[in-house]
Amino acid sequence: MADLRSNWRVVLLVVMLSLSAIVLFVPSATLSEGEVTGPTNLQYGLELNGGTRIRTPVTGMSATQLDVQRADDDVVRNVSESLGVPSLDVAVRDCTASNVDCRTEEGHVVEVFNDSVTAEQLVDVLRAQGIARIDGSQVTTEHVRDDPSPETYARMASSIQSKLDATGLSGGTATVASAANGQRYVVVEAPNREPEALVELLDERGLVQLTVRYPGNESMQEDVLVDANGIRTVDPPRRSEAGSGWEVPVKLTEQGGTRFQNILNSVGFTSDRNYQSCPANATATRTRNDDGYCLLTVVNGDVKGAFSMDGRLAQTIRSEQFANDPRFFFTAGNQSEAQRIQTNIEAGALPAPLDLDQRQTFTLEGALADQFKLNALITAIVAVLAVSFTVYIRYGNATVAAPMVVTALSEVALLLGFASIVGLPLDLSHIAGFIAVIGTGVDDLIIIADEVMAEKVSSQRVFQSRFRKAFWVIGAAAATTIVAMSPLAVLSLGDLRGFAIITILGVLIGVLVTRPAYGDILRALVTGDK
Amino acid sequence: MSKFEVPEVDYERYSNRQLAAIPLVLLAVALVVLAALWVTTGTPVPLGIDFTGGTELTVQTDTPRGELAAAFDVQPANIQAAAGTAEPQYIVTFADTGDSTNGSILAEQARANLEPTCSDVEECAVVQSRQSTTPRFASSAQNTALVGITIAFAGMSVLAFALFRSFVPSVAIVISAFSDIAIPLAIMGLVGINLSLGTVAALLMLIGYSVDSDILLNNHILRREGGFYESTARAMRTGVTMTLTSLSAMAVMAVTAWLFGIELMASIGIVLVLGLATDLLNTYMLNLSLLRWYKLGEVGN
Repeated sequence: MADLRSNWRVVLLVVMLSLSAIVLFVPSATLSEGEVTGPTNLQYGLELNGGTRIRTPVTGMSATQLDVQRADDDVVRNVSESLGVPSLDVAVRDCTASNVDCRTEEGHVVEVFNDSVTAEQLVDVLRAQGIARIDGSQVTTEHVRDDPSPETYARMASSIQSKLDATGLSGGTATVASAANGQRYVVVEAPNREPEALVELLDERGLVQLTVRYPGNESMQEDVLVDANGIRTVDPPRRSEAGSGWEVPVKLTEQGGTRFQNILNSVGFTSDRNYQSCPANATATRTRNDDGYCLLTVVNGDVKGAFSMDGRLAQTIRSEQFANDPRFFFTAGNQSEAQRIQTNIEAGALPAPLDLDQRQTFTLEGALADQFKLNALITAIVAVLAVSFTVYIRYGNATVAAPMVVTALSEVALLLGFASIVGLPLDLSHIAGFIAVIGTGVDDLIIIADEVMAEKVSSQRVFQSRFRKAFWVIGAAAATTIVAMSPLAVLSLGDLRGFAIITILGVLIGVLVTRPAYGDILRALVTGDK
Repeated sequence: MSKFEVPEVDYERYSNRQLAAIPLVLLAVALVVLAALWVTTGTPVPLGIDFTGGTELTVQTDTPRGELAAAFDVQPANIQAAAGTAEPQYIVTFADTGDSTNGSILAEQARANLEPTCSDVEECAVVQSRQSTTPRFASSAQNTALVGITIAFAGMSVLAFALFRSFVPSVAIVISAFSDIAIPLAIMGLVGINLSLGTVAALLMLIGYSVDSDILLNNHILRREGGFYESTARAMRTGVTMTLTSLSAMAVMAVTAWLFGIELMASIGIVLVLGLATDLLNTYMLNLSLLRWYKLGEVGN
């Protein structure tokens, strides 16, 4: 027992190494739910697995710290009408509410997601609406940021995430990152996807509506019948029974069904065989009809389908029985369009458009990724061999050098165990971090070895005092490395974040666990004390 | 197996001024080089596409290297062959053209005009990887890198003062670390190694490595009993071993990664090799002379 107690550091290291081995190699012994490939539980990032990553800002601006007394809906309607933009392009956020991040916790933020609007125009409209700052002063262009609020970024990320999930894209993720200057980005990653396909998915707001277009008093009128809010469930696309097109079946909510029924009846769609009056040229070309009554599938303002309704359904609607079983469908020209409509209904429209002109794209073929994985491993092994060789010829003594190399490698093993248990996807930057950890680790072990073996160690007490002295230097060096790396771990400088996080963790594991254990091992070897 | 011994330097033969002269002159030359590059090219170090914007394609093709440029409408800024791969691969870099679809267009041109290495395109895609950065990203990355290095350096300096609580030894650490970064930067500028995210990581690692050996030296001289030269010799035995071990690992890593075409690891390796070599000079000439002046006063020659 005394052995165990005096060598507790070694015992701790062995226990932690065994745990690492378990989480690395025993199937499903990990806390994360990500996809695992290969013989270990490690997950790999895009740079080692292939795929596409797009980083992009969100289009829009935000006027901050406003004093908004009226209902949000009211403000959105008035501001969007004054600016001449769709109401979807204006948002009001209450910063005092919990879970809403607007950089401050005071007042409201009014945001406009439309490039055609200038900061001056927004300021003019806010003043005209009688909206002032919380301190009572007038709004000026100084208070308008050229970027939407953090809240919008967060909503964008979760909305894109649902869009990725709805396309059945396994492993796709959307997150928010921010740079040192406060600029935020949406980061979208998708394995096994070409960038063009991903951009296509992100390039549209995904606002799907069913409208009715009919002759009004003097000109054609168009009213929204159904949008994503009025839909309860959506089914996969099927071929339409009538024509050559495709349709996406949906079940409306009770409220949505009633609204659908009321509007169709009030505009006269269901009477006088108007339900069959959609002109053939509109149906064939999928454009807005110039006469007659048509139902239109509208995606992001573009008509994807123009169609009539059969008499039986029109009869049901006229007799106000439709809301009892509100099933309907959206039509589309082809299967891929229909699928996109299904996706967009499931995920809902994006809160704001992405500023894809400013995007940063990274894409990597799986084959090259596999090559990187193997080559990075070989590179790391060769670097370790170089370290082993150098310390061996320096000390000319395998009993000092071998435990040194083993200890340095065990730091990497612990880090891999950590990566595996939290499901950290490994990239090239993490591997560079492992190399940095081995580098600083061996430095520290050399300090310990030299200190301990400087003169003949006669007793454990002498050993302890030497070891403590060595540890002052190691602790100081570790502190500087952590300080030097911490800005990178916090700032999102792309690839460097992983590097910094691994280096900091490695230094911590090293100073707290592995490097002290090396001291114990060396003591046993040098003093002959067991 | 013969073991190598760190040679003991007879410091008593040299005055502080002589010792400090070489690293200080090198630092001055490095600063002049950086300033000159700044004036002539606009940046002290050539910036990679991470910081300027642009597109980088990794193509795998049987088209000879000399004919690669003709495949694109835009003249590539640089074409680099990746060694150590079964099929011929090239890294082709383009400067930013201010067009966000540029990356897609260039990839399209590569697929259309370059010869694939096998008949089934599914098996051997011509465009193996692609990275496009727009100027807005690039300038924000520049900004972040600068802030990162500044904070890291400032944090290190504060820590150095906190550890030794006296002016000269702390300043010696800070000057050494500064020079450890400045000299590799100047060499990068001269030989044309681009500043990328990888090299920024390496510069930050240098702050850590550089401080290691300086703290060791200061600790032995200031906090241990024993004469100045005896302490120096002990610190050097350990410190030089540390630096040489790291140096050998990084040199091997740089060469292997370069052969395999793993840019990120290769550039980290090269910058660290340069920086660690500089660190030997700075620690055992500049830092040492400052410490000796602090401990013993002026030493006659």
